[in-house]
Amino acid sequence: MADNSASSGRLKYEAGFAREVYGMENGSYLKLCMQCGVCAVSCATFKIMDYSPRRLFALVRAGRKEEVMKSNTFWMCTTCLMCKARCPRGIPIVDVMHDLKGLALKQGYVNYPQAAFYQAFWQDLAGRGRIFEGGVTARYFLKRGPKDFGKIMAQKDVGLKMLSHGRLPLRPPKAVKGKKELMQMVAKARELEQKGAN
Amino acid sequence: MAKKIGVFICTGCSIGEALDTEALARVATKEKKIPLCKKNAFLCGRQGAELIKQDVVAEGLEAVVIAACSPRINYDVFDFGPSTIVERVNLREQVVWSHPADDEDTQAMAEDYLRMGITKAQASELPVPYLAENMVKSILVVGGGLAGLTAANEAALAGYRVVLVEKEPFLGGFAGRMYKSAPSRPPYTDLEDTPVAGLVADVEASPLIEVHTKTTVARIEGGPCLYDVTLEKDGQPSSFRAGAIVVATGARPYDAARLDRLGYGRYANVVTGVALEDMAREGKIQRPADGKPVQNAVFVLCAGSRDPGHLPYCSSSCCVESLKQALYLKEQNPDAGVYVIFKDIRTLGRYEEFYKKVQNEGVIFIKGEVTAVSEDGSRNLSVEFADLLLGERAEAAEVDLVVLATGMVPSTVDYAEQGAEDCPAGNVPTVQQPVLNLAYRQGPELPALNYGFPDSHFICFPYETRRTGIYAAGSVRAPMDLAAATEDATGAAMKAIQCVELTSRGAAVHPRVGDLSYPEFFMQRCTQCKRCTEECPFGAINEDEKANPLPNPTRCRRCGVCMGACPERIISFKNYSVPMIGNMIKAIDVPEEDEEKPRIVVFACENDAYPALDMAGLNHLGYNAWVRVIPVRCLGSMNLVWVADSLSKGIDGILLLGCKHGDDYQCHFIKGSELADIRLSKVAETLGRLQLEPDRVRMVQVNIMDYDKVPGILDDFAERLVEIGPNPYKGF
Amino acid sequence: MRYFFYPGCSMEAGAGSYTKSLEAVARALDIELAEVPDWNCCGATVASSVIGDAPAQVMSLRNLAMVEGSGLDVVVACSSCYMNLALANRRFQNDPRFRALATKSLAAGGMQYRGKVRVRFILEVIANDVGFERIAARVKRPLKGLKVAGYVGCQSVRTIPWEFDDPEQPVALDELIGALGATAVPFPLKARCCGASHTLPQGEITSSSCRDILESAGEARLMVTPCPMCQLNLDAYQSEVNKAYGTNFQIPVLFFTQLMAVAFDLAPSTYGLKANIVAPGPVLAQYGVAV
Ligand code: SF4
Ligand code: SF4
Ligand code: SF4
Ligand code: SF4
Repeated sequence: MADNSASSGRLKYEAGFAREVYGMENGSYLKLCMQCGVCAVSCATFKIMDYSPRRLFALVRAGRKEEVMKSNTFWMCTTCLMCKARCPRGIPIVDVMHDLKGLALKQGYVNYPQAAFYQAFWQDLAGRGRIFEGGVTARYFLKRGPKDFGKIMAQKDVGLKMLSHGRLPLRPPKAVKGKKELMQMVAKARELEQKGAN
Repeated sequence: MAKKIGVFICTGCSIGEALDTEALARVATKEKKIPLCKKNAFLCGRQGAELIKQDVVAEGLEAVVIAACSPRINYDVFDFGPSTIVERVNLREQVVWSHPADDEDTQAMAEDYLRMGITKAQASELPVPYLAENMVKSILVVGGGLAGLTAANEAALAGYRVVLVEKEPFLGGFAGRMYKSAPSRPPYTDLEDTPVAGLVADVEASPLIEVHTKTTVARIEGGPCLYDVTLEKDGQPSSFRAGAIVVATGARPYDAARLDRLGYGRYANVVTGVALEDMAREGKIQRPADGKPVQNAVFVLCAGSRDPGHLPYCSSSCCVESLKQALYLKEQNPDAGVYVIFKDIRTLGRYEEFYKKVQNEGVIFIKGEVTAVSEDGSRNLSVEFADLLLGERAEAAEVDLVVLATGMVPSTVDYAEQGAEDCPAGNVPTVQQPVLNLAYRQGPELPALNYGFPDSHFICFPYETRRTGIYAAGSVRAPMDLAAATEDATGAAMKAIQCVELTSRGAAVHPRVGDLSYPEFFMQRCTQCKRCTEECPFGAINEDEKANPLPNPTRCRRCGVCMGACPERIISFKNYSVPMIGNMIKAIDVPEEDEEKPRIVVFACENDAYPALDMAGLNHLGYNAWVRVIPVRCLGSMNLVWVADSLSKGIDGILLLGCKHGDDYQCHFIKGSELADIRLSKVAETLGRLQLEPDRVRMVQVNIMDYDKVPGILDDFAERLVEIGPNPYKGF
Repeated sequence: MRYFFYPGCSMEAGAGSYTKSLEAVARALDIELAEVPDWNCCGATVASSVIGDAPAQVMSLRNLAMVEGSGLDVVVACSSCYMNLALANRRFQNDPRFRALATKSLAAGGMQYRGKVRVRFILEVIANDVGFERIAARVKRPLKGLKVAGYVGCQSVRTIPWEFDDPEQPVALDELIGALGATAVPFPLKARCCGASHTLPQGEITSSSCRDILESAGEARLMVTPCPMCQLNLDAYQSEVNKAYGTNFQIPVLFFTQLMAVAFDLAPSTYGLKANIVAPGPVLAQYGVAV
């Protein structure tokens, strides 16, 4: 079995990335994962994920940052909570997925359409304190650029139907009156969270 | 002189409705000439029992035959004191509940059983307990580690004198050399001091415990309550008498030198868990090669365990021990990278909390299979492994320390030189170690169950070895951790106490607890064939200087295997003997050939097969009425002459129902059913010579839960006998 | 019975028929719902990934802080909003570190919260505070023989597993269907994820989940749900599912409150059935409902 020539291709265990993840808000829960695979068989979108949650966590521990951050796994998570409800170790897997998405956004791993959607959503929310679906959609397609034009056309039918059934409000909702204070709270929380993490 | 017998027939529990009890009574009074025969509708009720009691006193009955329910129940109701022989005829479970009422064959069956019962009562004698001079109740504990200390302490707390022998100069054993132990108390997450120091103090303070360190056992003669023990210290022998023995000599770590695949012996920084424990206790875990600090460490679990090339079994404690040691490293250096490469993590019970705690400390667990360990110029190690979680080949580099979680080999064996294969612990040749030096004909040490562990059958006989009165506890018996060893030692001390108490009254220990009979030898006719000395599963029979069998009754478990083995039929118990069963067979009324009613004798093991038959009755499962069941203490007590007796009497077939034998035996006397099987294989030839079909004798293994299969087994055999045709010796 | 009601963005917008029917049903059951004043978005399933769990949860807590003085419970009808509000609240109550952070953050916007509000999901309130017997007693138009699939969706029952229902095979919605005189069909995927917000970036994920769910509804003629996102995905994208998989689903998907309004025989204007894209008319016609 000892094929030394291939040793460079061997996966090297390295603890740095695991430490980075453990340092995130919910990251340290991952330490408790016992790799049972219950999350994998419970996941709503397991079939289209690059790696199951279980495997993703094994990769985190092995220190394979690039593979983890470039994978679609956390972007495919729908927050359906099945894994969290079932994990025998009580790991809030969804919350870990949030953290990983956050890390990906922060560090520029934004190749998935979901990343653009998340950013569009937040911008819309931050502007008003409430969400306007039309605004999110517009921002989303703006971010994705012409490459997603085909998708707009594909969803056009649905959009038109929704419109005709009064399901697409054309005007954005009123902004939250206390929006300024709301954003001050968020800013403070982010600042404290940042401090706490270090 | 014929003894005075009374027969009591119960007509309750539908016996009265199903049978012609008048006719039944006539069997006793007319045929068997028993003048006292009474019927009662509720024999186990207060009045029924009282009726018998009065007759026992008034008529001076020496034996009562109770034709009612199974002997397995109401034995307390039908107990009329130590001087009255009680014989039970099972009319309920095995006749009326399993056969049609008002039926000629059912009636014949009941009558036969009554004849057999009366015959047996006539042949039975009251057992006289075996009591010798100078029986003692003190307990010898061999091994002064955790299990030995616990056993000694527990026995002393119960008021028994203990002699504790340890070969090292100090008490404490393996656990005594540990830095810390895994958690045993809530919240089950924190390392603890081992209980050893406290136990040593208790033992040393106890006025009932005599401690001998640097001492070994040179020789043990005798049997329970009569063990003459010779100790040896610095070449000086000393002797005393002990009642029972607890063996708690522990285990030795698996020989890491055999694990050179894992780099042991080649690289100084590859160590065993035992060595790590020493470093931790001395306060500094560092690289043995150069004393540099440990930044990265890899634990390799199952090093030599659960491995077909080494020890095939799980050593049970190394997972938790390794978790504990991983914490040592994290305590010393919280930033250390600690990896644990495992096959499975086995953290049973509350240890799961500990596992989580260790995970929380950041120790990384990888399911994998180590393929190679190598070293670079600066003596850093690299561990290559198949990563089974990611399905890839992986490597941990720049590793300062590799810790091998080596498994356990019982201390009763040691590694053998090339070629020797006395007592293999798995696939490793080992030789038996002198621990007890028993003066037993069957050998000086405890027979091993498997892999050198001297257990017998833990589920049925916890702590028992195949040497009566000698109980194994702790990791010498099976791989286990500290908590389990503590419990084990307590259990073994309990068994030792039971043993001395029963033996000193002349009674048998488990499984025939309280039996006062024991085998007696009519030595004048002994041909010195040695069958009994070889076949006794418990090594109870030695040889004297003239090569005659020398029974040690206190070692005996009363299985009757010797009685079955003896070709001269000179071994018998007061209440169980070869002619007794022979007469029972002869008491069966065998119909003429033209009646086309075959007869089958079933020898059923009392421990499992007979209860299974009872349960079949309890569930009203029917079977043919041609069978006549004779309970035997163990199938191993079946003497081949009974086969001859049966066939010459005109019985058409003989069925043996006994426990499973082989590696995972369930025989209550370990070898009994296997020996019966061997004896039967010889019978087949004889039958052939007599022009009798070998199929007339059959042996089937059943356990107590097979009650639903028992009717099928009986009926199949009956069918086969019909095919063969009647026994040609009928009517001779 | 008085509660504060947190509508959330989708109740306000695309799920107007949910709001309308819920309000009517509440009135009919003597439930008073007051809107949480100046409420803000809970962050949906998105905000925590962009700004982190704690800041997103602080946003949710602002809504609770708004009404804490009243002593009333806050009722939520959107699964996702419920999840965010309830989890933020629970964390505030149980995690001292977060409690400190949240208290300081709320103070930065001039608000205070002490963790006293109870956040409740609408279905749980109906099951426990109203009770199915009262519902059954209020029914004027029993939906006899109507086979309904109760699609609970994922988040509401799993936010705090076993809080009021089985997290994987919930029963409350089925009991409600029964109380309305209809029959709840066996529906193995009743708590499976519908694909949620993947609709926009990767609609094929939603289509495939929705197909499985619609198929699992078996012989149901109608589906009801308490979740705006699920309703939208299963209703508006049903035609996409049919297109993509060559299926022929025609299952109207209603908010459960719409079906309650029908069974209570409230004013038809409160049903909001026009907003349904797969037309419920043909199924409901036999009960005398004109759409
Ligand atoms: S269910 Fe939990 S413990 Fe099991 S693999 Fe998934 S995250 Fe790990
Ligand atoms: S919450 Fe996300 S990761 Fe967990 S089962 Fe649902 S989709 Fe999968
Ligand atoms: S206890 Fe653990 S390490 Fe030891 S042999 Fe068993 S599985 Fe392997
Ligand atoms: S064979 Fe059984 S009965 Fe005979 S001496 Fe041995 S233990 Fe006793």
